[in-house]
Amino acid sequence: MFPPWLAGGLVYASALSLTAGGITLLYITTRTFNFAHASMATFGFYITYIFYSFRGGNLYQYLPLSFLFGSLLGIICYIGLNRPLLKRQASTITLMMSTLGYDLILLSIIQMLCDYLSYTFKLYPRRVTMSAFDFEMFGTSAASIITPLIAITILTLLHLFLTRTKFGISMRASIENPILASASGINSDKVYLMSWVIGGGMAALGGAVMSLTMTGTPVMGMTVIPYMFAGAILGGLENIYGGILGGFIVGLAEYVGIYYLAVKVGPWILGYRMALPLLIMAITLLLFPRGLAGIQWSYLLESIKRARKGAKS
Amino acid sequence: MRNIGDVLKQNLMKREVIISLVMLLVLTYLAISLGFPIIFSTLILFFIFSIVTLSLNLEVGHTGISQFGRVIAVIAGAFVVGAIPGRILAFLYGLPFGLEYADDAVNYKVVPLIHKILEKDIALALGFLLFCLVLAGLSGALIGWLTSRPAIRLREAYLGISLLAFGDFFMWVGHNWEPLVGGTTAVFIPDPFRIVWGYRMQAVAFTLLAILVLVYLFIERITKSPFGRTLKMLRDSPLVSRVYGKDIVKIRTQSLVIGSAIAAIGGALYVIYTGTCTAIGFTRLTWTFWPWAYMMLGGVGSNIGMVLGVLVLTVSRTLIILYRKSLFGFLLLWGIDPIWLEFTLLGLVIIFIILFMPYGLVPEKSETVLPSGRIKAILESVRKQSSQTPEN
Repeated sequence: MFPPWLAGGLVYASALSLTAGGITLLYITTRTFNFAHASMATFGFYITYIFYSFRGGNLYQYLPLSFLFGSLLGIICYIGLNRPLLKRQASTITLMMSTLGYDLILLSIIQMLCDYLSYTFKLYPRRVTMSAFDFEMFGTSAASIITPLIAITILTLLHLFLTRTKFGISMRASIENPILASASGINSDKVYLMSWVIGGGMAALGGAVMSLTMTGTPVMGMTVIPYMFAGAILGGLENIYGGILGGFIVGLAEYVGIYYLAVKVGPWILGYRMALPLLIMAITLLLFPRGLAGIQWSYLLESIKRARKGAKS
Repeated sequence: MRNIGDVLKQNLMKREVIISLVMLLVLTYLAISLGFPIIFSTLILFFIFSIVTLSLNLEVGHTGISQFGRVIAVIAGAFVVGAIPGRILAFLYGLPFGLEYADDAVNYKVVPLIHKILEKDIALALGFLLFCLVLAGLSGALIGWLTSRPAIRLREAYLGISLLAFGDFFMWVGHNWEPLVGGTTAVFIPDPFRIVWGYRMQAVAFTLLAILVLVYLFIERITKSPFGRTLKMLRDSPLVSRVYGKDIVKIRTQSLVIGSAIAAIGGALYVIYTGTCTAIGFTRLTWTFWPWAYMMLGGVGSNIGMVLGVLVLTVSRTLIILYRKSLFGFLLLWGIDPIWLEFTLLGLVIIFIILFMPYGLVPEKSETVLPSGRIKAILESVRKQSSQTPEN
C-alpha cells in the first residue's frame, strides 16, 4: 500500500508525535523539560523486546506494557525528584538538569540490563531490528498502518480525557491558570502526577513504536531526543496538540523530505538527514518565536485581508 | 538580606582548601601505588575540562544564558585545528594539502612527514601550537557570535534546546563531510610536542596547566571588573540592567563570544593532546552534559568552584575505572561491566547536588565593592560614631 520510505516515515512520525506530545504535556503542567524522555523511550523499546523474545506471539500486544512501565518511571521521577523541586519553586534550568541526572541513571540501568541479557540469556540486545519481527498487512509492513492508528487513538483518548472527564477539565484549568485553579480547590499535586503518568507512558510507547523503523540500541533515545525536542518546540510548547503536530511534521520531514532531496540532489545528502528537521525548527523559530501554536491565525488572516484591501483602495 | 559582616567572613577559603587537600591526597596515593602516567592523564583531562567548564560558567553562572550547546564551541575549536593548521604546513612543505588531506589513505602518510619537520625545529613547533590556539579562539568567537544571534530572540528554554540540537548537527556534519576532519575515520593532528618525545605527557600537562592558570586569571579578572558586575546584574534582573541603560543584547553577545572562544581553545587542546580528531567523539554527553555536571557540583557562579568540581569528578571517574574490578567485581557475576557505574555516578551527583546542596561545593560569594580591609575600617568608624552619639 505504501512505498517503503513512506511506511518508515509514518512509523517514525507517529513515534515522534507521541514523544513530543509527552514533552509538551510535561512542560505545560510542571515547567519541566524532560531529558529523561530519552531513556524512558529506550526503556519502552526494551520492555517490548524482552517480552517478545521470551514469550513470542504478536509484537503489538506488549505495547500497553511499555506504556505502563513508562508511567511507572514517570511516577518515580515525579515523587522522587520533581515534586520536591516544584515545592521549592526551582528554576526551569534546575528542573531540566534534574531530569538529566535521572536520564543518566536510567541509561546506566539500560546498559547493565543489556549486559545481563546478553550474558545470561545469550540474546543480542545491543543491536535489535524489531521490524524483522513485524508482519505484513495489505501488502505493506503492519507497523506503518498500526502505529499511526495508535498515535491517533492516543490523541483521541487524550482529547476525550481533557474535554469530557471532570479530572481532565480540572487538569486543563490548572494548566491554564495554576493559581486560580488551586484557589477553586483543584489538587495540583494530582494533576502533576497524572501528567507524569501520561507523559512517561507516551514516551515509552513512542520508543517502542520508534524501534519498529530504526535499529534499537541502548542509546536510541539519546540520539533521537533532539528531534523530540524539535517537534515539541515546533509545536510551540503551549498546547499538547501543537506538540503532537510538531512531532509528526518533524518526523515526516526527516524521512520523506530527505527521500525527495536524495532523488533530486543525490544520495550523498542522506548523511545529513537530521539537518532537515533542525532547519525547519530554526526557520519556524526565527519567523514565529513561539512556535506553531503561538501563531495567532485569526490575527494573521486579518492582517492579510487588510493588506489586500489596502492594495485595492 | 545578608549582614555585611557575613560577607567578610565568607572570604575564608576553608572549604576550598579541605576539598583540594583531600583530592591531592587521593592523587598522591594513586601516584605511589600505580605510578605517574595515570596521574598525568587524569590531570590533563582535569585541565582541559576545567577550561571548558570555566567558559560555561562565564555564560551560565555569570550571565544567565541557558547554554546547552557547549559542544558547538568545542567542536569549532577541535575541527578547525583538525582541518586547517596541518593543511598549511603540508602546503608550505609541498605535501598534499587539498581535499585529499583528510582522506585516511593520504593522511596517515602526510602527518608523519610533517612530524619529521616539527621534530627538528622548536620555534616552528611552538609557533604551530600558538597558531592552533589563536585559530581555535577566533573560530570559537565566530561561532559564539553566530549562536548569540538567536539568543537575542528566543526565550530561555527555547534557546537551550535549539543550541542542544545544533550541537548534534555540527557533530553529524563532521561525521559525514569527509574533507573536513576525515568523516567516519579520524584525522591526525601534527603534534607540536614531538620535540620533547619521551616527556610528552609531562610537557602537555605543564603547558595545559599554564593555559588553565591564564584562563582562570582572565575570567577572575572579568568577574571582578565592572563588565563582570554588569553580567551578574543582567543574570539577576534583566529589568534592572535595562533601567540602568545597559544594552542587554550587546552584553549577552560579548559574554557568548568570550565564553565560546575559551571553550574552543579547550577543544583545540583536547585534539592536540590526543593527536587525533574524530567527529563522532564530540558528543553532547561528554562536552555539554559533563561540564554542566561539573559546574553544578562546583557551585554555579563561583570560579574556584568550577576547578574543584572538575577535580572531584575527574578523580572519582578515574577511581571507578581503576577499581571497578576489585570494588564492583560482583557485578561481573551477572556479566555486567562496572564501567556503566560512571553514568550512575554522574546522574546521582547531579540529583544529589540539586536536591540537597543547591549552591554546590563552593557557593558563589558576594563580591565586595571595596577591599575587605577598608570595609572593616569603615565598619569600625561607624560603630565608634554610633557609640559616641547619645541615643535619643
